Amino acid sequence: MATVTTPTTPSARVVKAGAHLRRKKRLFWPFAAPALVLYLAFLVLPTIATVVLSFTSWAGAGDTPKPNGVTNYTQMVASDSFQYAFGNTLIYVFLGGIGTFALAFLFTMVLRDMKGGKTVRAILFFPNIVAPVALGMFLGFVFKYQPGKQGLANYVMEGLGADAAKFLAPSNVTGVVTASLIWASSGFYITILMAAVDRIPPYLYEDAELGGASPWQKFRNITLPMTWDVVGVAGVLWTINALKIFELVFVLAGPGTYAPPNEAWTLGIYVFDRTFGSNGTPDFGAACACAVAMIALVSVLVVLLRRLMRRDAIQF
Amino acid sequence: MATVTFSDTTRFYAGVERPAVDGLDLEVADGEFLVLVGPSGCGKSTTLRMLAGLEGVDDGSIHIGDRDVTELPPKDRDIAMVFQNYALYPHMSVGENIGFHLKLAKLPKAERERKVREAAAVLDLTEYLDRKPAKLSGGQRQRVAMGRAIVREPSVFLMDEPLSNLDAKLRVQTRTQIASLQRRLGITTLYVTHDQVEAMTMGDRVAVLKDGILQQCDTPVGLFARPVNVFVAGFIGSPAMNLLKTTVDIDGAVAGGTRLPLTPAQRSALTGPGIVVGVRPEGWTIGDGGYEAVVEVVEELGSDQYLYCRDGDRVLTVRTPGMAPWQRGEPISLAPKPGTVHLFDAATGDRLPDA
Amino acid sequence: MSVTDDVEAPARPPAKPVRKPPRKPRPAPGSKRLSPLRVLGSAIVWLFTAGNILVLYWLLTASFKTPVEIFTKPFALPYQWFNVGKPFRNFIYAWNNAGFGDAVLTTVVLVGLATVVTVAVSAPCAYALTRLGVRGSGPMTNAVAIGMGVPFQTVIIPLFVVLSKIHLDNEYGLFLLYVALSIPFTVFLMTGFFRSLPDELEEAAALDGASPTRTFFSVMLPLTRGGMITALTLNAIGLWNETLLAIVFLKDQAHFTLSRALFTFYGAASYQSEYGGLIAGVAIVVLPMLVLYLVLARRIITGLTLGAGK
Repeated sequence: MATVTTPTTPSARVVKAGAHLRRKKRLFWPFAAPALVLYLAFLVLPTIATVVLSFTSWAGAGDTPKPNGVTNYTQMVASDSFQYAFGNTLIYVFLGGIGTFALAFLFTMVLRDMKGGKTVRAILFFPNIVAPVALGMFLGFVFKYQPGKQGLANYVMEGLGADAAKFLAPSNVTGVVTASLIWASSGFYITILMAAVDRIPPYLYEDAELGGASPWQKFRNITLPMTWDVVGVAGVLWTINALKIFELVFVLAGPGTYAPPNEAWTLGIYVFDRTFGSNGTPDFGAACACAVAMIALVSVLVVLLRRLMRRDAIQF
Repeated sequence: MATVTFSDTTRFYAGVERPAVDGLDLEVADGEFLVLVGPSGCGKSTTLRMLAGLEGVDDGSIHIGDRDVTELPPKDRDIAMVFQNYALYPHMSVGENIGFHLKLAKLPKAERERKVREAAAVLDLTEYLDRKPAKLSGGQRQRVAMGRAIVREPSVFLMDEPLSNLDAKLRVQTRTQIASLQRRLGITTLYVTHDQVEAMTMGDRVAVLKDGILQQCDTPVGLFARPVNVFVAGFIGSPAMNLLKTTVDIDGAVAGGTRLPLTPAQRSALTGPGIVVGVRPEGWTIGDGGYEAVVEVVEELGSDQYLYCRDGDRVLTVRTPGMAPWQRGEPISLAPKPGTVHLFDAATGDRLPDA
Repeated sequence: MSVTDDVEAPARPPAKPVRKPPRKPRPAPGSKRLSPLRVLGSAIVWLFTAGNILVLYWLLTASFKTPVEIFTKPFALPYQWFNVGKPFRNFIYAWNNAGFGDAVLTTVVLVGLATVVTVAVSAPCAYALTRLGVRGSGPMTNAVAIGMGVPFQTVIIPLFVVLSKIHLDNEYGLFLLYVALSIPFTVFLMTGFFRSLPDELEEAAALDGASPTRTFFSVMLPLTRGGMITALTLNAIGLWNETLLAIVFLKDQAHFTLSRALFTFYGAASYQSEYGGLIAGVAIVVLPMLVLYLVLARRIITGLTLGAGK
C-alpha cells in the first residue's frame, strides 16, 4: 500500500493509508453480501437439505418426510435402475473422459503447427454452445433406425455396404452416447488445451527439433509437462460436467416425454425420474439419496484426480 | 573438418517482397569464431536459423564441410544452438536439460550421465545439476544453455544473442568465457548479436549485415580500419564515426577547413560530386581551426571523455583523454587529422579506394 | 548520432537482378517429414472436422426438407418444399406448434435479465473477494468456486418444494434460480479478471482522493469491461441452453423457454413423424447461438479458456 515514509510527516501518511484501508474494508459486506446470500440460499442450504432428506421416507408433495435411516440408500443400491445409472455415469466419466482427452491430445499434437488450426478449432468448438436438448434430438435423427427411412449414420453405413445398426436400442445406447459425448465435448477441451499449448514458448519446440524429437517425443517431453496444470483443471471440469449429464441421454435414448429405458439411465435421470418423471410414483427420499450419491461421487473423483495429477507432475 | 559455406543463400518471408536474407555468400573456416552483426531486421538471426534448419532456404545452398545440408532436417546437421532465451525446459533439472538431446538420441544412460557431468564440470554447474532452471541466476541459466550445446560435441555451434538477457557486468565476463571456451574446444561457431562491441571483442571475423545483404566480412581490425561503406563505418566503432557530407572540387575535398586531396583512382571511382568524409571521434585536431562548435554534452568515463559539439545543424563527436577540463557551453574548434579520414562516395555510400 | 549533413547510408545495391519472391516460402527442412503419427493425426483431424461440417450442413438442409427427403436423400439439397412454393413450411410448422413465438420472447427477457443481474451481483462480490484485503477472502472464494461442481440435481428437490410452496414455481422463480446458480461461475471468472489488474491503479485513485466506492465504479469496473462482456456472453449461452430447471419449474406452456418448448415439441411431433418440423425446431434454437458464435467466437473461447486455465 502507499505507505511511502517521507522524512516530513511519516506517521501522518501511515495513518492516512490505514484509514483508507479501513474504509475499503467496510465495503466488503455491502459488495459481497448479495451474491453470497444467494449462494447460501440456493446452493448451500438446499444441498444440506438434500442430505438431510436423503435419510427420510418422503413420497413428495402432500407427504411429510419421516426419518428412516439409511433405508433409501440400501434400497437404492440394490435397485437395478440405480446400478444401471451408476454404471453408465461411470462409463461416461471414464470412457468418455479417456476418449475426449485422447482426442484432445492428438489434436494438440497435430494442430500446433498446422495452418488453419484456428478455423478447425472454431468448428470443433461449435457443438459446445448448442443446447444439449437440441443436440440430443439432432443426434436422435442422425442415429435413427427405421428400414427405408434410415438416419444419417445408417444411411452412410448402408451406402458403404454395411448393415444398418439399431444404435439407439437400450443395449447400444450407452456406447452411442459415449461417442456422441466425445464428439460434442472434445472441441471444448481441445480449445482449452490448445490455449495452454499456445503459451508454451516456441523456442522449446525448436530446441527439440534440433535434437531430432519426434512429434510424440515433443508431446511427451514438452507439451504434456508444460500444460499439466491446465490438463488437471480440464480433467476436473470434465468430471463435473460428465457426472451431471442428463438432457442429452434423456432425449437421445428415450421418447422425450418420459424417461428412457433403465439400461440407459444416468444418475441425473434417476433423480429426475424419482421426482418429476411422469413415469411411476415420485419418491423424493430416494431421489435425494441419489443426489447425495452424485455429489459424493463428484467430490471423490475430483479429489482423486487432483491427488493423481499432483504426484505425476513432480515426477517428471 | 567443419567449414560452413553459404552460397547465394536467400530467404523470403510470406507476404514480404524483399528477401530477409538476400544472396548471402559467406565462408566460415574450420574452428573459426564468426560473428554476425547488424541492426534488428537485418537477417542475421534468419541466417543462423537457416543454418540450423529451423527455416527453409528459398534459393542457394548451405554446406557444412562437404555436405550439402540445405534440405537436411536439423537433427542430421550435427549442430548445437544456444537460444537468446536459453530455451531451458522449466520442468527438467539442470542435468536433464543438459542431457535432453542425448536422451532424444537414445544414448545409453550411463554414458549420458558421464557426458552431462563432464559438461557441468567445464561450466561450474556440478553443484546445481539437480536444480530446476527457475532456481538459477541469469548467468547460471546461460551456462546451462551452453552446457546443453557442448555436451553434444557438435561440429558447429550456433549462438543467437546468448548474452542479451544478462546485466552489463555479467555480459562482459561471460563474453570472455564464451570466447575462451570456443578457442579451447576449437569448434566452428556462428554467433549472432546486435551489439557491435560484442562482435568486435569476440569474433575472429565479423560479418556485418543490413537489410538482408552482407555488407562486409572481415577481422575486427579490418572492419575498423577499412569499412567498405558508409553503413559499416557508422555501425562499427563506439561512439560512432562522424560522417561529413561535402563536395569535391578540382583540388579535392574540404572538410572542417582541412583540405583532403584525392588520388586519381579515388577521383575516377566517384560517381558524382558528393563525397562523405568519415572522421573517428579520436581523429580530430582540437583547437587549431576547422569547425567552430560549442560543447553541448560532456560524457566523462574516467579514462576517456566524449564531447558532443554543435556547429549549426551538425553534432560532432569527439573523444579526448579522460578528466579533461572541457565544460558544457565552451567553444571548441575541430579539424580532421588528414591521415585518418575515411572517404566514401556520397551517392553509393561505397568506400573510395585508399590509393 | 554522428551521421551529420543528412548523410544517407545506402546499403550496397544488389549486384544481381532483383529476386522474385516465391509464392510460398519454403518450409523448414524436415517439418514436412511424414511420420506415421503425423499422417494418422492429420487424417483424424480432417475427418473429424469434415464430419462436423457435414453434420451442420445436414441440419441446415434437413430443416427445409420433407421427412422422405431427409431420410432418403440426406446429402441432397432440399427440393420438395421449394417446389411447392413453401420453402419455410417446416419453420412455420415448428413455430406454430411448439409455441416458439411466446418462447422466444420469454427466453430473451428471462436470459437477458438473469445474465445482467448475475453480473451485477457477482462483479462487486468478486471485487470484494480479491481487492479489499479482508481476511478469509481466499477460502471464501474457494468455497464459492466449489459451487461450480454441484450438480443442479443435488439442489433441485428442496428448491422445488420451497418455491412451489411460495408459488414461485414459474418464470419468476426460474429467474431467481438462474441468477443464483450462475453466481459461482461468474464470481470465479470475475475474480480472475480483478486479480489481473495492477495495484497502482487503485492506489493512484486513492491518492487522487476517490472514495473506495467511487474507485470501484469509475476505475475498476470499466477496466474489467472485457471480463464482464465475457461473463455476460457465457452466462447467456448457458442459460439459453438450460433445460432441466425449465422442465421442472415451468408448467404453463405460455411461459416456456425455447429449450423447454423444444423438449415438449419433441415428444409431440415424434408421434406424428413430423421430422422436418422437428429439425426446423432444432435449427430455430441452434441458429441464434450459431450467429452469436460467429460474431463472438474469439471472446467466447478466450473467456472459457480463461475460466478454466487460471
